[in-house]
Amino acid sequence: MVLKTLSDLKNIVTGGPKKKLILAAAQDQHSLGAVLKAWKENIVEPILVGDTESIQNICISNNYDISGLRVIHEPDLVKAVEMSVRMVSSKQADVLMKGMVGTSTLLKCVLNKEWGLRTGNLLSHFALFEVETYHKVIAVTDVAMNISPNLKDKISIVNNSVSCLLRLGYTMPKVAVLGAVEMVNENMEATLHAALLSKMNQRDQIRNCIIDGPLAFDNAVSLESAKHKGIKSEVAGDTDLLLMPDIEVGNVLYKSLVFFAKAKVASIILGASAPIVLTSRSDSEQAKFDSILLAAASCK
Amino acid sequence: MVDTVLSLNRKYRVAVSWAQDQNTIWAIHRTVAEGFVDALLIGNPTEIIRTCESEGIDPGKFIIIEAVDSADASSVAVSMAKNGEADIVMKGLVGTDVFLKAVMDKENGIMIPGAVLSYVGAIQIPAYNKLLFITDPAVIPYPNLQQKVYMINYAVEMARKFGIARPKIALIAASEKSGKNFSSSDDYASLLDMSKDWNIQDCVIDGPLDLFLACDRKSVEIKGIKTPVNGEADILIFPSLESCNPFYKSLMLFAGGELAGLIRGTEKPVIVMSRSESQISKYYCIVLSCLMA
Repeated sequence: MVLKTLSDLKNIVTGGPKKKLILAAAQDQHSLGAVLKAWKENIVEPILVGDTESIQNICISNNYDISGLRVIHEPDLVKAVEMSVRMVSSKQADVLMKGMVGTSTLLKCVLNKEWGLRTGNLLSHFALFEVETYHKVIAVTDVAMNISPNLKDKISIVNNSVSCLLRLGYTMPKVAVLGAVEMVNENMEATLHAALLSKMNQRDQIRNCIIDGPLAFDNAVSLESAKHKGIKSEVAGDTDLLLMPDIEVGNVLYKSLVFFAKAKVASIILGASAPIVLTSRSDSEQAKFDSILLAAASCK
Repeated sequence: MVDTVLSLNRKYRVAVSWAQDQNTIWAIHRTVAEGFVDALLIGNPTEIIRTCESEGIDPGKFIIIEAVDSADASSVAVSMAKNGEADIVMKGLVGTDVFLKAVMDKENGIMIPGAVLSYVGAIQIPAYNKLLFITDPAVIPYPNLQQKVYMINYAVEMARKFGIARPKIALIAASEKSGKNFSSSDDYASLLDMSKDWNIQDCVIDGPLDLFLACDRKSVEIKGIKTPVNGEADILIFPSLESCNPFYKSLMLFAGGELAGLIRGTEKPVIVMSRSESQISKYYCIVLSCLMA
């Protein structure tokens, strides 16, 4: 199975037991709005942890109805995050979401050795794009978390992403390792990584996917371009997952797709024992909602 | 752009290296038919004539010059430009490395002594209200400070040809925050410093900026950042070919973008396009090179 659109994620979520999402420091209008929308649409069962008074004020001024929801009062930001993370690690909730708190505070708790959500895997960012002119959704990683991953990091990033795609129902997703060129160039490290990842995949060192690279962006997503250049590849033109060389490339591409190509995007953090929704102020409400949907769909 | 070139009322001689490529012949034929280009097609004459006929184009409209292979065709095209027999050189069905070797040849090439070879592209995107000039998606993998200065100068020069008196230049990074983790932070700081007493006047420059802050006024407002570029960039300078290349390709494939681009640092304009580029993009490249000639 492959996903054609982000709303296809709803089919994965409906039917199964409803996933519990915990919003850490819930007194944040934008995340709260998206969480409540997801609740109304039966995507998740939210638990709000934070300052009850501020939460209620936000609800009053935005006409949000939270009657029937579990709200846990904890006005201190760090304590609210710690409590939220502990609830996820003790399996009282399935998804962690960041509210009115800094990313670094949240990640510090997630990485706590005693009660955090460590699995031994690298944490990585996973974004799923719906672009009008591509025939299915396309996953892109890592555009936000790892700045310049080395080969070992990239193996973890691919593994994180492939397991996520498998949980979403994919079999043998096609992974393109992005380069500026499709030839291995000894002066461009990304192309060396790409060649090594492809070979490791052929030798079954990286499993459950088909990896090819380096592939330039056009060859990864357009069969016509690949044909024109005479590239023979199972992945070319049919990529499910696009692996970025580093955050500089990933960030530009992410923003180009959102701003210039008007793509819809959902994104989560992988590598912890539960999916984490970590959206930013500048994300649209739709993007926040779709990220919650992706997190719920990607739960084990 | 086309109107401007037509109004110059001039004919440009374009030498095409290893010309037997359908998209290239289509594009060059259109410029010949529109009356501002004389085409010199260099390559295998039989192949060229056959390609013309398959496109329904009369090969009699072109001057055809024989060459034995793509390397030979490239040096013929370049030497014609050097000798003043051509105004513009264009890459046909030849690999970029082979073609550039002829351009950069110490004796017979057309490099400006001491100059940096770099690529500047102009992109038209439906979601942006003006042209966006970008560099470098094709030639310099990881530009150093000196190369970035050249890249900026080339881009400004091209923007001026399009009538942009005071172009806004964004130095692109993953975030607006400088940091040791990002390779270009130091260079960007130096560039801002240098721009204060720069030899190119009349431009606005700021960085590091992410793509949103460079091109989206709303993002600038939401983030409350003060930047003279203000979400209205004309020129984007990228930290690497690795980031610029997928950027422009994503625009072409997913955002309805059209690109025209040129190599700079040469005595005459040089057109290098990916062999997989569309007919219309190749056409725009020829028009752009006439404008810059």
